[in-house]
Amino acid sequence: MTETLSPPPKIGHKAFLWPGWFWDILLDWDRLQVAGSLLIILAMAVLPIFVTASYYLGIIVLTALYAYVGISWNISTGFAGQLLIAHVIFVGVGAYTTIVLLDRFGISPWLGIPAAGLVSGVLGLVVSYITLRYGLKADYAALFTIALMLAMSLLFNKFQLVGAAAGLGVSFHGESLKMMTFVAKTPYLYIALGLLSAAVAVQYLVYRSKLGAYMIAIRENEAAASALGVNTALYKTLAVLISTAMGGIGGGFYVVYVTFVQPGQVFNLSFNVAIVLAGPIIGGLGSLIGPILGAVVNKPIVELLRGALAAQRGGTDLIVYGLFLITFMLFVPKGIAGLLYGPYDSMRRALQRRG
Amino acid sequence: MYVGVLAQTLVNGLFAGGVLALVSIGLTMIYGVMIIINFAHGEFVMLGMYLSYWAFVLGGVDPYLSVFMTAIIMFAFGALVQRLLVQRVMAAHILNQIVLLLGLSILLVGLAQFFWMPVPRTLQLPYATAGVEVAGLILNIPRGVAFLASLVIASALYVFLQRTRVGKSIRACAESREAAQLVGINVKRVYMLTFGIGAAVTGVAGALLAPSYPITPTVGATWSVIAFVVVVLGTMGNFMGAFLGGLLIGVAEAFGGLLLGGDVKEVVSMLIFILVLLLKPQGLFGKADS
Repeated sequence: MTETLSPPPKIGHKAFLWPGWFWDILLDWDRLQVAGSLLIILAMAVLPIFVTASYYLGIIVLTALYAYVGISWNISTGFAGQLLIAHVIFVGVGAYTTIVLLDRFGISPWLGIPAAGLVSGVLGLVVSYITLRYGLKADYAALFTIALMLAMSLLFNKFQLVGAAAGLGVSFHGESLKMMTFVAKTPYLYIALGLLSAAVAVQYLVYRSKLGAYMIAIRENEAAASALGVNTALYKTLAVLISTAMGGIGGGFYVVYVTFVQPGQVFNLSFNVAIVLAGPIIGGLGSLIGPILGAVVNKPIVELLRGALAAQRGGTDLIVYGLFLITFMLFVPKGIAGLLYGPYDSMRRALQRRG
Repeated sequence: MYVGVLAQTLVNGLFAGGVLALVSIGLTMIYGVMIIINFAHGEFVMLGMYLSYWAFVLGGVDPYLSVFMTAIIMFAFGALVQRLLVQRVMAAHILNQIVLLLGLSILLVGLAQFFWMPVPRTLQLPYATAGVEVAGLILNIPRGVAFLASLVIASALYVFLQRTRVGKSIRACAESREAAQLVGINVKRVYMLTFGIGAAVTGVAGALLAPSYPITPTVGATWSVIAFVVVVLGTMGNFMGAFLGGLLIGVAEAFGGLLLGGDVKEVVSMLIFILVLLLKPQGLFGKADS
């Protein structure tokens, strides 16, 4: 999960035909991960040229969104080591914020989605305050967030403003850029990819800044970080704030895209696995490219399994997916990014020797 | 009249709480010894329910007889899961453990859908809704049996953990893995045993729930989350805490339902949970710095 930062090594570029910036990226694992993320985003952006079926475009939109939510979770849990397992709480609250503003007050999602980030961020601050004030440790904090998810589900089930158990939906009044409703899937895809690119940038900036260094110090050894003068409470709170606000924004877009939300749908452990946990852990939690790689692997697998095995006897897709997750955790515990780092590192060493 | 209503509510609450306690004991025991949160816990409940359904439909065996078979099968299953899967991630990051067990839970739901179809099943028992009247109180038989069984199982487990040599070795592993190893306890075997017992108790809980709740492949998710709440309330890893926490939530929900109407009873337990978390975050039975 941890890769040591190494200064860009000096090598003789003249021996190679590639320009200097290429080597700068290739020989720096962090930059290479960002470049890889951007390439994946670019690939998703040009996919609509080849893929026109609405069903497959829908999968790509959700893959981009899940990658975005994965990055948002990666900052609090992957970088700062805060076990906010039920991150879906903030996605759900964000979804509700946007839809309530739209449905009850007619406010466009262009304002409603940032508002979702604000509301989820405030909720994140509250959760962070509780876990800090009462010193909830790893497992406790994890189960606390799950219990909070259940509480949210019950609360939203009773609350008429948010549609109670029936939930709320977007009523479609024709295509409108102003209200973020489109007939085709591609506009949604570009909004999702815009969010994802922003998340990649935010994640990289956080990671490369002092803030990120403090977060990782807290994850690796909180007592030592504290002894060295890191204000652990402050940086944990900041990590949770960034994470939850981003999660809320993802939820806002989610509800605009799927057009409805119900308590049991978002405040749900399986949905939490799908949108939050699976991607970053499969891709490599704590790495920069992990959440995107994980989403790109996980989401299509789930959808293709569902599509391919739907005609089979019920449950077959879940059996295969369950086995996939188990096998993956047993044999690739550090995720795809962890798997790639080993070969990458030996390649880099070999290149440096040559240079 | 009022006394009668209150007493009836108390009995209903205790009966429901006994079931909650039984569902939660296995989870807290596994956590206490191994520091593993069994995210497939609810699916163990679901398996217990289906085993009893299968025994009834295929063999015509009454759930209260097949429960012993369920216990043995679930024990073997739990021990196997521990040895083949959980043991391999004991040293891994907590999130890897969680995703592994979530994968297991997805697999079990899939298997249940495959074998039993995603339709709700019910055990057609003559006594499913029967009640006996004792001193003006109506006691629902299946829930009463579940309550009594939870008392018996919890006491038996308590005596087992406190008095027997094996029980003491389990507690030793819970205290300190290294120290237990140093005095010659086979920690791996204790883990297998603990996971097996945890699974068996949970499966029995499911079997005892089968007469009074509909059985579906996805029923486990609900029970998982309820068990998490009970276990956090009663301090994670604390055996008696889970038992008393279950009873407390059962009674609180019953009275909440009586005072505020049936559909808000879960809100009452959530309120209790949040209050406990704010006032005593280690749970009701936790030490200050644990």
